[in-house]
Amino acid sequence: MWDFLSDVIRTTLSGFAERLRAFGPDLLAMLVILALGLLAAVALRALLRLLLPRLGFDRFASRLGISLVLQKGGLTQSPGDVVASATAWGVLAVSVLLAIGSLNLRFGVSPLAQAFGYLPQLLVAAALLLLGSLLGAFLRRSVLIAAVNAGLPSARLLAGGAQAGVLFLCIAMALEQLGVGRQVILVAFTILFGGVVLALSLAFGLAGRELARELLEKLVRRSSDARGDPLRHL
Amino acid sequence: MLRPPPPGGALTDAVPFGPAVEARIAEIGEVDVLVGIPSFNNSRTIGHVVRAAAAGLAKYFPELRAVIVNSDGGSSDGTPEAVLQADFSSPAAILVQHPLAPVHRIVTPYHGVPGKGSAFRALFAIAERLGADACAVFDADLRSISPEWVQLLVAPVLQRGFDFVAPLYVRHKHDGTITNSIVYPLTRALYGQDVRQPIGGDFGFSGRLASHYLTKPVWESDVARFGIDIWMTTTAIADGFKLCQSFLGTKIHDAKDPGADLSEMLLQVVASVFDLMRAHRERWRDVRGVEEVPLFGFPHGVGLEPVPVDLGRMRAIFRQGARELGEIWERVLPPETRAEIVGLAGGAGDRFHFPDLLWARAVYDFAVACERRVLPRDQLLRSLVPLYLGRTASFILQTEDGDASDAETANRSLADEYVRQKPYLLERWSAQGV
Repeated sequence: MWDFLSDVIRTTLSGFAERLRAFGPDLLAMLVILALGLLAAVALRALLRLLLPRLGFDRFASRLGISLVLQKGGLTQSPGDVVASATAWGVLAVSVLLAIGSLNLRFGVSPLAQAFGYLPQLLVAAALLLLGSLLGAFLRRSVLIAAVNAGLPSARLLAGGAQAGVLFLCIAMALEQLGVGRQVILVAFTILFGGVVLALSLAFGLAGRELARELLEKLVRRSSDARGDPLRHL
Repeated sequence: MLRPPPPGGALTDAVPFGPAVEARIAEIGEVDVLVGIPSFNNSRTIGHVVRAAAAGLAKYFPELRAVIVNSDGGSSDGTPEAVLQADFSSPAAILVQHPLAPVHRIVTPYHGVPGKGSAFRALFAIAERLGADACAVFDADLRSISPEWVQLLVAPVLQRGFDFVAPLYVRHKHDGTITNSIVYPLTRALYGQDVRQPIGGDFGFSGRLASHYLTKPVWESDVARFGIDIWMTTTAIADGFKLCQSFLGTKIHDAKDPGADLSEMLLQVVASVFDLMRAHRERWRDVRGVEEVPLFGFPHGVGLEPVPVDLGRMRAIFRQGARELGEIWERVLPPETRAEIVGLAGGAGDRFHFPDLLWARAVYDFAVACERRVLPRDQLLRSLVPLYLGRTASFILQTEDGDASDAETANRSLADEYVRQKPYLLERWSAQGV
């Protein structure tokens, strides 16, 4: 009985030792990859934080309105810092994925391949969101200034509407890129956009008939006034 | 320090002309005076401008060889034909003697970037090719030009050795508000020369200065499209050429595009001035005080048509700007300036007054913000419109009961304020490390 038990324990332990011997290098590789990834992320972050301000990136970002978008998103760091941190986290994430891959785990291979396969779509979606927020902020400012200079009422509303339109379009495109509820997004966008246009048409044509007439009269009057304004500014 | 003129023809080779114009230049050979008229769809008025210029040349410079050059931007209304058909062979109505030398004419399309600057470049090149000693340029839409204008712009160059003659017009007290509230006081404070109409449009200049203009690498920039007037004036000042002004009387244009977008106009003018500020920062940084610029002609007052203005609309846009452009102005104006402007916008009725000091500082703040590129330039400068309208409304209220001389006193007072606030500009400009 004792012999049998000791055989079983020995066999189990030797099996475990063999598996550990086989798995050891993978584990070591994982730890090395993680450590290198961590080091690379920290070094890259420090390097970017040093270089980007010197290259005038913060000024450039401020000019493009990126700083404003970041502030609105609650990020108080400078755009250079944000880029440095995002890059470091990206490197760290990739090194974690590589580290998991180095373990050669059967259950880990498929999700890992999927994650890497998904990465381009994720990047495109992120780029679309960034582009949308930049374009939206730019358009908002342009519409706001033009509306104020033209003396249009509700300038902020117009500007906000323009920005929201661009943002919504870009979010829809990003989700489409990620493959999240494709049909739902398409249908929702179509219904929402069509609905807004229809609602505006109905509101303008029925409920706001008087307002519509007033606005049009005002616009016509203003344009004829402008034509007759003889003040020369130059 | 003046730059020596470039070797003849070296720079004009870069300005292409058609074979017919080349042949005409070769045929004419040399001239003493060139009168240039840039045009674009000005068939209604250009004949009058050409005849006045020809009469002026015949009357005041009968012994000199002269040419009238029309540099056209592709008019579709028969402008070049109007120039060719203008009859100035015998201006007997104003002459007691016949000119000794005929006045030639050249009509040429200009090439390159479409705009008045490219038209001027062609004129400078022809002036250099023909060896002109003096040149005068006139807008093609002028209705008030007389032969005396030629004498007033050319004689200071030929007889007194000046290189650049700026025009001085008599204008209604509420006319030219961008010039009066931004371009004139800013140019005067920056470069220390009291040129009253830096963007007048009609100028006289020496052949040497025409050649100097050609050496500048600006002919693919905004200068070629718009802003040539302020560029010519500023370049002449900044590069140390000898300046004067000539009083031309009233300037009346052909009625054209009176509803032109103010925002676009302000953007073009202010962008040109700010671009020149950047280009000449070393030149204006050490300038203190202001020098008078010699004046020729006989200044006199003229009764001018009143200019009706919509003060209510101006102030409404100013108030709306103060209310809604905060997120943009906060990137341009310091908090105390912004607070003062918001307070002004919220103020009541007839006591509305936009102080000179506040306006001068605001313009300097916009110049610094433009230099720092805190926003895209178009957006930044278009956001100046409500402030400009507020300032203009205040100026009109301030001067509505006074005459033209009272308004001019107010303009001079603002110009002096710009000079007093120049240390503020220098401080803010250097704070950005430029």
